[in-house]
Amino acid sequence: MAASMRLLVRRAVRLSHRNITLTAAGAAARSGCCRGPSVCRCFSDEAEDRSTHFGFETVSETEKAKRVYKVFENVAQKYDIMNDAMSLGIHRVWKDALLHVMHPQPGAQLLDVAGGTGDIAFRFLEYIRLQEERQKRRAARSSQTPSWQDISNNYSTEDESRESRAVVCDINKEMLKVGKQKADSLGVSAGLSWVVGDAEELPFDDDQFDIYTIAFGIRNVTHIDQALQEALRVLKPGGRFMCLEFSKVNNPILSSIYDAYSFQMIPVIGEVIAGDWKSYQYLVESIRKFPNQEEFKGMIEDAGFYCVKYYNLTGGVVALHSGFKL
Amino acid sequence: MAALLRGLRAGRTLRGLSSGKTGPTSRVVAAPSAVNPQCSNLNRGFHRAALRLQDESKSDKPPSSSSSSSSSSTTYHEHYQATEHDTAAEASQHDSASDPAAEQPERPNTSYQDQSGEHGEEYETEEQLQSRILTAALEFVPLHGWSMEAIAAGAETLGLSSASTGMFYNGAGDLVLHFIAHCNSQLTEILAEQHKQVQLGQAEPKKTADFLREAVETRLRMYIPYIETWPQAMSILLLPHNIPDSLKHLSSMVDDIWYYAGDRSTDMNWYTKRAVLTGIYNTTELVMLQDSSPDFQDTWSFLDNRIQDVVNMASSAKQVQSTGEAVVQGLMGAAVTLKNLTGLNQRR
Repeated sequence: MAASMRLLVRRAVRLSHRNITLTAAGAAARSGCCRGPSVCRCFSDEAEDRSTHFGFETVSETEKAKRVYKVFENVAQKYDIMNDAMSLGIHRVWKDALLHVMHPQPGAQLLDVAGGTGDIAFRFLEYIRLQEERQKRRAARSSQTPSWQDISNNYSTEDESRESRAVVCDINKEMLKVGKQKADSLGVSAGLSWVVGDAEELPFDDDQFDIYTIAFGIRNVTHIDQALQEALRVLKPGGRFMCLEFSKVNNPILSSIYDAYSFQMIPVIGEVIAGDWKSYQYLVESIRKFPNQEEFKGMIEDAGFYCVKYYNLTGGVVALHSGFKL
Repeated sequence: MAALLRGLRAGRTLRGLSSGKTGPTSRVVAAPSAVNPQCSNLNRGFHRAALRLQDESKSDKPPSSSSSSSSSSTTYHEHYQATEHDTAAEASQHDSASDPAAEQPERPNTSYQDQSGEHGEEYETEEQLQSRILTAALEFVPLHGWSMEAIAAGAETLGLSSASTGMFYNGAGDLVLHFIAHCNSQLTEILAEQHKQVQLGQAEPKKTADFLREAVETRLRMYIPYIETWPQAMSILLLPHNIPDSLKHLSSMVDDIWYYAGDRSTDMNWYTKRAVLTGIYNTTELVMLQDSSPDFQDTWSFLDNRIQDVVNMASSAKQVQSTGEAVVQGLMGAAVTLKNLTGLNQRR
C-alpha cells in the first residue's frame, strides 16, 4: 500500500515535472517565437545565401553538392566511354603522364580522391608492379652467383617490404560501383580498396598516405580549400599532393579551337552516347569556372604545401599540379 | 581544452613509448601499425629539432593545418605550449620541443621562432631539407646504386615518405652532384686548414709537385667507400643535361687546388696549369676505377708518375726554349756572315 502510494506520488511528480517543463517550453516558445525560429532561419539562410557556381549558373552551396552528385550518378555507366570519345583517347596519355611524374616507389600508399572508376589506382598498381619486377631483375643480374648468405637474406627481406596499396575514395556510390566492376573484369584485387567519402571531410586518420591524387575531380568540390587542407592532413610528412585538372589554354589559336570543340561538340557527344546533354554542358562550363594554373598553385601553397609546381599538358588544356607536405 | 587533453594523452603515450611499452591511444595513432609511425614521427621531431639548431628562424605551415597534422608528434611539450599560446603554436615549435632531454637549451628559442615568418626562409629550408635527404641517401648508395631508390631510402630514414623523392627532378643526377659538391667543399676545408697551418708557421710549405699529389690523392680517397658504384656515377655525370654542372664542379675543384698550391698567374699559364691538372685528375680517377691493389697503391704510383711527367715536361720545355733561342741566334749569325761574304750586305 505504502509502496504503491509512493509509486503514485512519484508518477505524479514526474508528470507534474513534465507539465512544468512543457508549459515552460511553451511559454518560452511563445515568447521567443519571434527570436528562436527566426534565428534558426537566419543561420540556414546564410548557408543558402552563400552561393557558388555550378557551371555558368549560380546556385547555393548545398544545392551544388547535390547537383554534382546527380550529374555523376547519371554519367557513371558511360563515364569511361565518354572520356575516350571526348578527349579522343588523350586522357590516357594525361593519366600516364601523372604516373610518370609521380614515379611511385614500391611500398607507397596511394589515396585517389574522386577516383570513381579507378583509372589512376589501376595505373598506380601496374607501375609499382613493373618497378618491382625491374628491381628483382636488376638484383638477379648483379648477383649472378649469390652466396648462401645472400639467398637466405633475400628470403628474409621479402616479407618485410611493405605492400603498396591504393585506396579509391569517391563521394558517389555509382562511380565506385563501376570502378569495382572494372577491377573485377581486369582481375585486379590485391592492394585495392574502395571507400565512400567526401573530399572536404575524408574518413581517414592523419598521416596515412604517401601520395594523394585527385584527377579531374577537384573542380567539382564545393570548397576547394577545404579539400586541400584535408589532403594536407591525411598525407604523411614528405607526402605528395598531385592534381590533374583542366586549366587555361594560353595559346589563343588553340584556345579558340578548344572552346569551339568544348561548347559545340562535347554536349552533342554526351547526348548521343550517354543520352545526357545537361551533364556534359555542366562539365565544360565547370572547366571555365576553375581557377587558372597560377591561381590554383597559389591556393595549394596557401593550404601549406611546399615545392608546388605545375606542368602544362596538351598546351594547357590539362595542368598537373604537384606539392609536398614538408 | 581539447588541445590540453590531446597533449596530455600524447604525453602519456610518449612516455609509455620511451619506456618501451606500446600502448598508443586511438586519437594519437595515425596508422594501423602502432610503433613505426610514432618512431618515424619522433625521428622527424629529432631531425626537425636538429634543423632548428642549424637555422635560427622557421616559418612553417599555417597553424590550422599544422595543429592537426602534428598531432602524432606532439609531446607533453605541446601541452606546455598549449597552456601558453593557444592553437597558434606552430608545428615547428612542437617538433623542436619534442625531445625534452636534448632540447632543454632550445626552449628559450621557441618563442623567438614564433616571430619569424618570412617566405624567403622557407625556400632556404627546402634546399636544406633536400641536401639533408641527399646526405642521408648516400649511405644507401652501396645497396641501391646512384638511383631514386637510394634517395627514397634516405628520405625514409629522415621520417619522410618516399614520395618526397619527387622533389628531385634530376633524380640520380641530383644525388651524384650533391656528393661531388660535398667532396669538393671537404677538400677546400682541408686545403684551407693546411694553408692556415703554413701561415701560422706550424708546418713547412710543400713543393708544388708534392702538394698537387697529396691534394689529388685526398680528393680521390673520398670516393673509396663508393668505388663499386662509381662507374655508374660517372656515367650519370656524362649525361648531356648533367655535363654543365659536372664541368663546373670539376673546374672549381681544380681552381681551388691550384690556388692553395700558390698559383697566382695571370697569363696563359693559368689555363695550361688547370688543363694539365684536370687531365691528371681524370686519368687517375679512371685508373682508380679498375685498381685492385691494396689501398689503391697502383693508383697513387700512377699519379706520382703523371705529376713527375709534368714536372719533367716543364723543365724540358724551358730547356727546349733556350736551346731553340740559341739555335735561332746561331742561324741568324750564319746568315749575316754569308751575306757579308757574298757582298749582299753592302750598300751601293
